[in-house]
Amino acid sequence: MSGIDVDLAVNGLITGLFYALMAIGLSLIFGILKIVNFAHGEFYMVGAYAYTLIALALGVPVWVALPLAFVVGAALGWLTERTLMRPLYAGYTSWGLMRDEYAVIVTFGLSLFLINLVDKVIGPYAYRGPPLVETSRIVLGPVLISGHRLLAAGIAIAVIAITAALIKWSFWGQQIRAVSQNRLGASLAGIDTAKASAIVFMLSGGLAAFAGALLSPVINASPDVGVFPAIKSYIIVVLGGMGSVPGAIIASLALGVIESFGAVYLSYQYRDAFGLILLMLFLLFRPQGLFGEKGREV
Amino acid sequence: MAGLLRRDVLGLALTAAALMLPLTAQAADPIKVGVTITQSPPGSVVQGTQVKDGLEVAAKMINDAGGVDGRKIELVIEDTQGLPEKARAAVEKLITRDKVVAITGEHQSSAALAGIEVAHRYKIPYINTNAWSDAIREKGYPEVFNPGNYNSRVGAAAAQTMKELGAKRVLSFAENTDYGIGLAKAIGESLKKIAPGIEYKYETLDRASKDFLPAILPLRANPPDAIINLMLPPAAYIMMNQVYEQGVAPSAKTWLYDGSGLADYPDFWQNVKEAGKGMLVFGLYHPKMAQPPLGKQVGEAYTAKTKNEPNRLLFQAADSLFLIADAIKRAKSTEPEALIKALGETKYTGTRGEITFSKDKGFAFNQWLDVPYVTFQLTQVNQKVGDSALVSQPGQPLDASKLWKPAK
Repeated sequence: MSGIDVDLAVNGLITGLFYALMAIGLSLIFGILKIVNFAHGEFYMVGAYAYTLIALALGVPVWVALPLAFVVGAALGWLTERTLMRPLYAGYTSWGLMRDEYAVIVTFGLSLFLINLVDKVIGPYAYRGPPLVETSRIVLGPVLISGHRLLAAGIAIAVIAITAALIKWSFWGQQIRAVSQNRLGASLAGIDTAKASAIVFMLSGGLAAFAGALLSPVINASPDVGVFPAIKSYIIVVLGGMGSVPGAIIASLALGVIESFGAVYLSYQYRDAFGLILLMLFLLFRPQGLFGEKGREV
Repeated sequence: MAGLLRRDVLGLALTAAALMLPLTAQAADPIKVGVTITQSPPGSVVQGTQVKDGLEVAAKMINDAGGVDGRKIELVIEDTQGLPEKARAAVEKLITRDKVVAITGEHQSSAALAGIEVAHRYKIPYINTNAWSDAIREKGYPEVFNPGNYNSRVGAAAAQTMKELGAKRVLSFAENTDYGIGLAKAIGESLKKIAPGIEYKYETLDRASKDFLPAILPLRANPPDAIINLMLPPAAYIMMNQVYEQGVAPSAKTWLYDGSGLADYPDFWQNVKEAGKGMLVFGLYHPKMAQPPLGKQVGEAYTAKTKNEPNRLLFQAADSLFLIADAIKRAKSTEPEALIKALGETKYTGTRGEITFSKDKGFAFNQWLDVPYVTFQLTQVNQKVGDSALVSQPGQPLDASKLWKPAK
């Protein structure tokens, strides 16, 4: 493996980690509510702005601003669930009866609303978030990386691991998984499905906002900054298997590495097409994704 | 008899007054000028805001001075989001519903290319404020006038600068738009003529992307002598930061040259910091440039209105509106045909110099060819454009002795 290949692999894995932070939340929402949240990218955007403005305008230390961005995203997620999502499933116990076309319209509307709200209130100008460390270049063998990017990657690994552990072993995580498997069954077993949905939206919003905050020194927050990562997340969720968290993580890392190598060895112009080509191949030959289950409803 | 006459005279006077009413009202009606700009993403809202400010400053100056032949200028603004389909619809709406006498303000090439098709169909004057693509001029539409900059001009300027820097290998990072790709090609064409020995290539980057490292990493092993930025914010800022973090440019080996006029954006330094130090800039405005008195007036009015330093788009936008007002005055009409004829005969000293329109074919058609430009270098982080090193005055060669280069 040459120096450039190591560089590309490291860059691809780091990019994949950031994709994963976004995609996990989207996957969780799909798992429990069977809807695609089209405003997911705007949670990311809100996180990037929250971190940047809290740190720069209020002078709050970056290590405090970072978790605060998570809190802002989680609060937005909770608010979205309570005000916009609950009518979707209130009174229904079966997925088949839920008004999922409503979710498409309302989340798409929320996305446009948030983009334009930020554009008008904060302004159209881009804001670069303060880095967690000022070191602009760190040499690790053949890899040259900014201190912030390296640290952000480490934090992303920790957050992904904690999230996966919480979902697998915590009390609320088990309830979320139960609702995800069978909403009616979970409800009959005494699980508050509405509360589980609210927790998932909070976690999803918090993770997306955290990803935006972590990357704000790299991506420079602007009103439409979340559009592109959201599109990647939709692809990843399908590749990993709708609703599967491990699938989302593996698909994120794989997509990051494929894009990184493909851009150099195939064509940079088509870098963003690689994910779409994979998506089409999966839909043709393995529509359930990497870890999804085949399902059929009559 | 005398009473009858008095009544008749009074009646005639009243009738005449009644007949005059519509004429008086018409004379007082504002002159509507259509404006298409980007006010929301994904286009450049920063540019749109600067153009809007410039047009409003110019409109206020015209109206405060009594308007055009007693009629006020009224701007009717439409948001295109920088999207061709929205631009097309906006121009259609402005012409058919708002009945504007001319269209101006456009600052993005893809949107302008769509908008001029509609203006051409309705034969309504279209003053292109800041869309640089040569393709707009090459259409040869008699309704479209270009007092702003154009790709061939930047191409020639960039090629000349590369030659004077002694570069052997040059790479452009161009955004995937008509503007970016057109400009990258224009630089290539100019280099073939001016400095055929320079090895040149360009890489097209997606303006919506946030990660350009796969395009940058291969440069570390063998960096070019100069990298030319042909992207707009925020993608341009992200690319610059990543080029800097990878130690590629600005560096002792590689110059960073900006062909997109980034340095006077109000958010420039907040977004790039160290990555902007040492950048050479193709500039359409510099406070140390010689300017006509109107330019000074517009700059002061803009600073009073926005508290910001003047910028190139302000002047380009103001000139666009001044040219329309000047053409209406000379044509003594707002009829499209008369206006187009008057615009074609323009000889007007605006904010940047004396503007005339060439009739040569190709990129020169209806173009003000002598748009003044300078080259300057940012030598400190957070440096104002006015404090930067002016290394080339309009029409003068680059003064290499004024250049600063990083130690490594």
